[in-house]
Amino acid sequence: MEWFSFLRDEILPALLKGFRVSILLIVPSAVFGLCVGIVVGAARVYGNRFVAALANAFVTIFRGVPLVVQLFIWYFGLPYFGIYFSPFVASVLGFTLCSGAYQSEYIRGALLSIKKGQMLAAQALGFSRIQTIVSVIMPQALRRALPGSGNEIIYLIKYSSLAYMITCIELTGEAKILASHTFRYTEVFLAVGTVYLIIVSFASRILEYLENRFRIPGFER
Amino acid sequence: MILWAENIRKTYGDREILKGVSLSISKGELKVLIGPSGAGKSTLLQCLNFLVMPDAGDVWLEGHKIDRAKKSELYAIRQQVGMIFQDFNLFDHLTALENIKIGLIRVKGMDKKAATDRADAELERVGLKEHAKHYPAQLSGGQKQRVSIARALAMDPKVMLLDEPTSALDPELIGEVHAVIRDLVANGMTMIMATHQIGFSRAMANEIIFMENGLIVEQGEPRKIFSNAECERTREFCSKVTDLYGEV
Repeated sequence: MEWFSFLRDEILPALLKGFRVSILLIVPSAVFGLCVGIVVGAARVYGNRFVAALANAFVTIFRGVPLVVQLFIWYFGLPYFGIYFSPFVASVLGFTLCSGAYQSEYIRGALLSIKKGQMLAAQALGFSRIQTIVSVIMPQALRRALPGSGNEIIYLIKYSSLAYMITCIELTGEAKILASHTFRYTEVFLAVGTVYLIIVSFASRILEYLENRFRIPGFER
Repeated sequence: MILWAENIRKTYGDREILKGVSLSISKGELKVLIGPSGAGKSTLLQCLNFLVMPDAGDVWLEGHKIDRAKKSELYAIRQQVGMIFQDFNLFDHLTALENIKIGLIRVKGMDKKAATDRADAELERVGLKEHAKHYPAQLSGGQKQRVSIARALAMDPKVMLLDEPTSALDPELIGEVHAVIRDLVANGMTMIMATHQIGFSRAMANEIIFMENGLIVEQGEPRKIFSNAECERTREFCSKVTDLYGEV
């Protein structure tokens, strides 16, 4: 029963506090990350040479540099140039850009999979290129990107734990503090692992719902 | 003359697809492009509304020379020139009705109610009113092609370009698309159509244009081209497709 009271009195309050921060990190990072991915992915496929090169450079950097290093730069590095971010803002910024780089790859693949005829048909009706991409190509590409993009969001949920490295105390941060105060690492991290599992399961259900919701009739399995 | 193209040239890499093709069409005419695959029929049609940018040559629509450097002119001519593709190219994520509405709303700026009414009317015209809510993947090939014709018609085109509209269809479904095209001819639509359907062309076309290797070899009335062509190559081609595609 001692274990139960530890769970109830120590672990749960700490994790609840951390959970709130984690959600506040994950939701905007996932949304903005997807938006960045859409813009960068489209730029890589449909941009002129200059825009495409710029977007490719973005991906090279934010996919290539370890996320922890990126977070350190946003939080510890930028103050050298007189730019100060709170731990929370630096984390969301870091996650958004990194996630956006990965998302752009899923979006790019989906865009490339749309048949050329869709573009031709829209342009034959008098659509501009941008209009075609926004109202014909993207709605189809996003559906195809959903499994991959969802995967990236699931991954984001877990790497959001890196925020504690720049003192944004979320789930993992709270767990680490509690564990080092009590030296009960096993219980605390089992509990925190379970919370991540629950968040991921919940996110998977939402993604599954979205996939079904936007499935095009006639393309059912 | 409604549409007039002069000396259209197009090269892909080191392959010259169009070697200077000129043609013109007057209101209410149906001109049919025939010729072997690779003759340049598709490319020519797509050059006429600048889906493919010709390397040289000019296009006039109702006496106005299209300035290809101006994007707004390209969007404008495409609105006025309807295009039908061999593989339909319906927007897969939209219902039959929405496929027709989207151009009216996004390009013509119509409000949703008016667009719906117009799209309904066009679907009815091609006999697919009851399929309004179906998605392309739920339609047969013939139905898809009829929706794509309805989509083009809704834009009130001055000319329609049809690129082998029945080549991807089962023989049984060709008839329903031909019926729609016949209806358009009867209503005075101006059309240029690439096809291998010799029987239909002979019955409907004002003029047959035989193309090969990026050039117009011979053109004239169906009777002349199919029965009494001047050029040996034209006669050879016509007799082959007649064997394949039935009656003349």
